[in-house]
Amino acid sequence: MTGMTYGSWLCLLAPLAGTILILLGGSWLPRKFAAWTATTSVFVAFAGAIWAFLGVHSVHQSVCLGTAPCGSRGELTTAWTWLAVGHFSVPLQLLVDPLSTMMMLIVSGVGGLIVLYSIGYMEGDDEERRYFAYIAFFVFSMLMLVEGGNLLLLLVGWGLVGLSSYLLIGFWHDRPSAVAAAKKAFVMNAFGDATMALAFFIIIAHTSSLSFGTLNVQFSSTQSNLIALGLLGGAVAKSAQIPLQTWLPDAMEGPTPVSALIHAATMVTAGVYLIARTHPIFEQARTIELIAAGIGALTLLVAGLIALVQTDIKRVIAYSTMSQIGYMFLGVGVGGYANGMFHLMTHAFFKALLFMTAGLAIHALAGEQDIRNMRGLGKVMPFTKWCFLAGALALVGIPPFAGFFSKDPIIASTLDIGWYGYVFYACGLIGAFLTGLYTFRLWFLVFPGEPGPFVREHYHDHHGREGAWTMLVPVGILTVLATIGGWIQFPPHWDPITKWLAPVAPSLPDAIASSTQETVTSIVSVVIGLTGIAVAWAVYSERKIAIPAVPSVRRVLENKFYFDWLYERIFYVPAVETGNFLGREFEQPVVLQTGPDLGEGTLATGGLVRRIQTGLLRTYVLFIAAGAAAIVLAFLIAK
Amino acid sequence: MLGPDVAWYVALSGVLFGIGALGVLIRRNTLVVLLSLELMLNAGNLSLIALSRHFHNGAGQIFALAVMAVAASEVCVGLGLVVALNRRNLSLDVDTLSELRG
Amino acid sequence: MILAFSASNVVVWIVWLAAAFACLGSAVAVISFTNPFYSALALIGNLGSLAVMYLLLSAEFVAAAQVLVYAGAVVVMFLFVIAYVGPRRETPWSGGPGWQTVGAVAAAGALLVEIVVVVGMQASGSLSHETKVGAEFGTPAWIGRIFLVDHLFAFEITSVVLLIAAMGGVILGSHTRRAT
Repeated sequence: MTGMTYGSWLCLLAPLAGTILILLGGSWLPRKFAAWTATTSVFVAFAGAIWAFLGVHSVHQSVCLGTAPCGSRGELTTAWTWLAVGHFSVPLQLLVDPLSTMMMLIVSGVGGLIVLYSIGYMEGDDEERRYFAYIAFFVFSMLMLVEGGNLLLLLVGWGLVGLSSYLLIGFWHDRPSAVAAAKKAFVMNAFGDATMALAFFIIIAHTSSLSFGTLNVQFSSTQSNLIALGLLGGAVAKSAQIPLQTWLPDAMEGPTPVSALIHAATMVTAGVYLIARTHPIFEQARTIELIAAGIGALTLLVAGLIALVQTDIKRVIAYSTMSQIGYMFLGVGVGGYANGMFHLMTHAFFKALLFMTAGLAIHALAGEQDIRNMRGLGKVMPFTKWCFLAGALALVGIPPFAGFFSKDPIIASTLDIGWYGYVFYACGLIGAFLTGLYTFRLWFLVFPGEPGPFVREHYHDHHGREGAWTMLVPVGILTVLATIGGWIQFPPHWDPITKWLAPVAPSLPDAIASSTQETVTSIVSVVIGLTGIAVAWAVYSERKIAIPAVPSVRRVLENKFYFDWLYERIFYVPAVETGNFLGREFEQPVVLQTGPDLGEGTLATGGLVRRIQTGLLRTYVLFIAAGAAAIVLAFLIAK
Repeated sequence: MLGPDVAWYVALSGVLFGIGALGVLIRRNTLVVLLSLELMLNAGNLSLIALSRHFHNGAGQIFALAVMAVAASEVCVGLGLVVALNRRNLSLDVDTLSELRG
Repeated sequence: MILAFSASNVVVWIVWLAAAFACLGSAVAVISFTNPFYSALALIGNLGSLAVMYLLLSAEFVAAAQVLVYAGAVVVMFLFVIAYVGPRRETPWSGGPGWQTVGAVAAAGALLVEIVVVVGMQASGSLSHETKVGAEFGTPAWIGRIFLVDHLFAFEITSVVLLIAAMGGVILGSHTRRAT
């Protein structure tokens, strides 16, 4: 094994070791010890990720990966052969290449900061150790997903992150709403898992292999469409895009660090990673790839609209996440994989920052999440106010903050792909306006101005500071990253990320915008973003314009476009009715009654047999005589 | 030999046996049951003697004498039981003596 | 012996028929009388007819033993105990579960029929050939010799059985001990 493979194994196994340590320690482990074990294990994973990154960086020449295309500049490291059935074998292997090291750095880096933050956030909770075990397990699962060397290990990581998400959303299991949200997330993700499995079956049937290289094999048109559709189904479920998006807002029932890590920075972006990783098959099924882009465009609009009427601070940020992932889907859908991955990276920074500052506010107000009560919070929590502002500006895409550099290339890349490209372009720009509007609606409602009555009454600080140092330091680091993180790529002037990912996921030529397109788009989107901010200022801060009162529109938005209502009628109610019907007609009379029926039958038979025990001597003699007669008869017949 | 064949004797012993069995099965007085039992034993004896005559084997007659001795001892014990029952003022009805009831 | 040189076959047949009727008639009487005393008396008739048949079969010793032991001792014992126990009248065919009587008749009838059938089938087989017996067949001397030479074991065991039965009878008939 070379250096980079050591790094990748270290990165993968450190959080697992942390989880096992906390699980084995149980309640003998001091809470702080469990917390710091989890944090340290994730930072060790980050160190491993850096090691692997440096290793990949130093590989100047291209390395062939067997069935993978030559020139992918990565290395497969195998532990042992896990499955072997005839011609089909799946080794337990990790892939260390530019794309996976980029994801490893994001997951372990941002993850480490969030786990550090949660030491302060979850302090005093009854089941703190369980939380840290789960979150270390999540980091392990997500790393398995991004480091998996073949499709089956990716699916293993996929399933495990779904499990971790379920465990963490339902962490406060005495709240029925949390339990219901966890179940909802898991079931919707299971749908995606099923479509992915079906896609894998087709791949195995055609090529008898699940390595990443098999995706380069030429499939027939039907096959490639079905495979891509199955993979897209999984991506849509995991990344909460339409039509499988309803679980993400409900997932805010989990603790805020969980929302930051899983439902903003890492797990929900796994769908984008999947499309980038399996891009050969999507390029064979170009229609499906464009459908992915269309889903992204639709979602970014719908989510932006719904975010305008939300009153829970975490839900606003959740819909914002949904919308930004729509941008990422748009980016990878048109073929600009580097654009999508870059936006994934910057989004991880500023979205985690937004969730964590929201968490500071929630923590300081003893669990209050309704923004209508938080007026004037900025006066007593200035640090939080400025960090949130930085994150908000990054989100809207105002230079020099990070979002500007990553969002505009995506919008610009849609121009050259056909008439629907113009539709996507328009969607992207409208989305920028909505982003500015809902984000600064949130900021203007919460932070500026004099503290309102609720804030005066309920605000309490943490020993003079706005939070524990374990919470403030990560927020600070992420603020810096949200500010400068975008400076690493500014297409078309300098684009190290595109070059970094080129051996693995080269962008399609149509998706690379010309410099004029880029410049025009950047200027237009910044102007639109600023317009959105201005409108928000006018409506929510200065009250110069009233909110337009269109009750029907408002109702549609508040009901989240009736998706939940529809799904309940299509899926939930029929399932419940079928279950009740089967229980009544089949389980009760047949299955449950069998036991008592057997007992009663045995008793009845016993009762019948009992009647020959008359106690009379004569009866017993009768039986002897009858038996003798029968035996003689048998002899007669036999003779 | 003169008279009926051996088969007649054996058939007669079978009928006698059946009548004795019937008596054992339908009478409720212990003493009458024992008497019917004697009938069955005698039927067996008759059959033994007849076949001993037919096969010119003395063992049949010896066996019949042994059966007679055993019948005598059985009656002795059975009547002892009846006397014991009577002394304890228990009924001699076979149907009443039914401790071994299911 | 004496009977072997009787006048003609017909006489033997008549004797046999008379003995057979007496046997069966007295058997039916045994099981039918309500008074057990009368049943015991009917048994004497049965035993006597059987003794006659034994004589017809050249088993003189057994016939004599039958009359002496059975009719003389066993039935007398019965009569003593019946007299001691007192009058108990009870009708046949009464009591017990309904299927009892039906089952009884069926079982007894089945046994009876089967035995007759078997005999009928055997009659053409191994029971068909004639046999002649010697003059000393059935005499006491002959019986005695067989008892003590060929079947000594049976002889001894029979005496043990009789001893045990006598002890049993004494124990059963003894007075119960009062607890002191």
